[in-house]
Amino acid sequence: MDLKIWGCAVLFPVQILYCILKASVRWLLPCKRKDLGAEVVLITGGGRGIGRHLAKEFAKQGAKKVILWGRTEKCLKETCEEISMTGTECHYFVCDVGNREEVYQQAKVVREKVGDVTILINNAAVVHGKSLMNSDDDALLKTQHINTLGQFWTTKAFLPRMLELCNGHVVCINSILSLSSIPGAIDYCTSKASSFAFMESLTLGLLDCPGVGCTTVLPFHTDTEMFQGMRVRFPQLFPPLNPEIVAQRTVDAVRTNTAFVVLPWTMHILVILKSFLPQSALEEIYKFSGSYTCMNTFKGRT
Amino acid sequence: MNIVAEFFVVSLKVVWAFILAGAKWLIRPREKSVAGQVCVITGAGSGLGRLFAKEFARRGATLVLWDINRQGNEETAEMVRQIYRDMSVSKEGKYISLKPHDGVQDVPLIQPQVFTYYCDVSKRESVYSTAEKVRREVGNIDILINNAGVVSGHHLLECPDELIERTMMVNCHAHFWTSKAFLPKMLELNHGHIVTVASSLGLFTTAGVEDYCASKFGAIGFHESLSHELKAADKDGIKMTLVCPFLVDTGMFKGCKIRKEMAPFFPPLKPEYCVKEAMRAILTDQPMVCTPRAMYMVTFMKTVLPFDAIVCMYRFIGADKCMYPFLAHRKESMNNNEAKSGM
Repeated sequence: MDLKIWGCAVLFPVQILYCILKASVRWLLPCKRKDLGAEVVLITGGGRGIGRHLAKEFAKQGAKKVILWGRTEKCLKETCEEISMTGTECHYFVCDVGNREEVYQQAKVVREKVGDVTILINNAAVVHGKSLMNSDDDALLKTQHINTLGQFWTTKAFLPRMLELCNGHVVCINSILSLSSIPGAIDYCTSKASSFAFMESLTLGLLDCPGVGCTTVLPFHTDTEMFQGMRVRFPQLFPPLNPEIVAQRTVDAVRTNTAFVVLPWTMHILVILKSFLPQSALEEIYKFSGSYTCMNTFKGRT
Repeated sequence: MNIVAEFFVVSLKVVWAFILAGAKWLIRPREKSVAGQVCVITGAGSGLGRLFAKEFARRGATLVLWDINRQGNEETAEMVRQIYRDMSVSKEGKYISLKPHDGVQDVPLIQPQVFTYYCDVSKRESVYSTAEKVRREVGNIDILINNAGVVSGHHLLECPDELIERTMMVNCHAHFWTSKAFLPKMLELNHGHIVTVASSLGLFTTAGVEDYCASKFGAIGFHESLSHELKAADKDGIKMTLVCPFLVDTGMFKGCKIRKEMAPFFPPLKPEYCVKEAMRAILTDQPMVCTPRAMYMVTFMKTVLPFDAIVCMYRFIGADKCMYPFLAHRKESMNNNEAKSGM
C-alpha cells in the first residue's frame, strides 16, 4: 500500500508533463476525428445565431439527422428548409427548454418520431443585459431557467439513452463570461457560470463511461443578434467572433472529443490573470479594457 | 488620454495592487468595528450561519437571523442573547441594558438586539416580505450575509427535478432576491457589506454533485458581477466579500472523502476555523477568502493546466469521485428513512 502511493507520487509529475506535452502536440498535429455519419444531432435554440450555424456545419460534416429545438417556429422552419436542401434529414420541434414538462414531452416525441439522439447540443440561451437593480425579477428567473436549468432537463432526458448505447456526446455552448463576469449582464453571468459548473462536473462524472463525451465551448463576444450593441474597447485586438467560426470549432471539438474550447485562445490569458491577480488590479484591467462600459450600448434581440 | 500613457498607468496600478496585497499579507490591516451595525444572516439556524451569528454578536452587532428552521433559529438567537448578556456583565458601563421604563435616551452605546424571522429564501415573495418586515421593525441593515445553502445529494440522473430546482433556488437565486431587497438602501447611503458564502465547489467541481456545483458557481458569478457593477457605478462604500471554504465539517457532506493517503493534507475544515478566517476577511474588507490557502493554488493550477492534466491531478488527490461515498451514504439513509426532509 505504501509502495503504491509512492509510485503514484513519483508518477504524478510525469503524468502531468505528459498531459501538457500531449495538449501542445495536439495543437500542432492533426489528430483522429470521429465520423459523424451515424449521429443524430439535437440542437436547442437551433433557429438562429450560433445554433443555426451549428446545424449547417453538422449537416456539412455529414451528420445523419439534425433536429432543431427552439421557441420561434418561423426561424426553425427557415433553418430546417435550408438544411433539408443540402440533403440532410432535418426535423424541428417547438420547445422551450426553460419549461421542464415541455422538454420531457418533446424529448419523447423526438425519440418516437426520429430516433435516439446521440449528440445533444445545449445552445439555447437568452440574455437580459441589465444591472441587478434594473432587472426585472421574472426576467432574471427566465434567464436562469433557459440557460441553466434547461440544460439539466435536456441532459436528463437524453443522457440515459446515450449511456445505454455507449455512444453519445453532450455539448454546451457557454460563454467566456462564465469564467469572468462583467457588470451589466448579471443574469447571464450567473446562469452561464452555473452551466459551466454543470458541464465540468458532468465531464468528470462521464470520464469512466466509454463512448460518452462532453464538450464545452466558451466563446468570446460572438457577432449575433443576441449581443447586439455590445461594444468592446479594442475591437482590433479582440474582434467579435464570427458565428460560423464558433460552429466550425465546436463541430471539430466534438469530433476530436475535446472537453473545453476557449475561443479565441487569447481569452486563456484573461482567465489565468483572473485566477491570481488581486481584485483591485483586476478591476483596473477591466476598466482599462472597457469591460465596465461594454454593456452600456447593449441592445440585444429586439 | 493617450492609450500608451493609459496603459502605463494601468500597469503601475496593477503593480501597486500587488504591493498592497503583499503588504496586507505581512501586516494585517485593522479590523473594522461592527458594533451597533445591523447584520442579516440567512440560514442562521445551523452550521456556519450560527457561528457567524455568534461571531458578530461578540463584536456587538445587532443580528437579524433568517432561517426556514424556526427551532434552530431560536436556539441561535438564545446563544446570541447569552453572548450579549455575558458582554454586558464583563463590560459593565459600556453596555447598559435598556429597561423600557428607564427612558434613557442618552446611553452612548445601543444595546445590541437579536431578531429572528422565518423565511424561505428560495421564495421571492417570502424574501421580499420578510425584508420589508425587517426594515419596519429593525431599520436599515449594514451587513448582509448570504449563507443559506442546501445540497440534494443525488446523482444527476436519479435526482428528482424538484430537488435540483430547490438547490438552485436556495443556493443561487436566493442571492438575487436578498440583494435586491437590501441593495437600494445601501446604494442610497453608499454604505454596506454583502457577503456571499459559497464553497470551494464554486471554484472547481467534482463528479456527482452537478446541481450543487452549478448553484455555487452561479453564486460566485453573481457575486463577481455585482461587485464589478458596484465598482463601475463608483459605489466604493459597499464592500463585497466572497467566502469559499473547502469541505467544512458541518455534516452537510457526511461521508465525502478523498484519497486516504492524501486526506491528512486536506482535512475537513473545523467550522470555527473557517468562520474565524471568514470574519477576518469580512472585517478587513478583503474581496475574497479561500480556506485553506491551498485552494488558491488549486484554482490557479486549474486555469493553467490542460484539462487532461487537471483530471490527472484530481485522480491523484482522489477528488474526482470524492462525493460518491457521500451520495451513497445519503442514499442509504434515505432508504432507512433517516434523512430529514428539507435538507
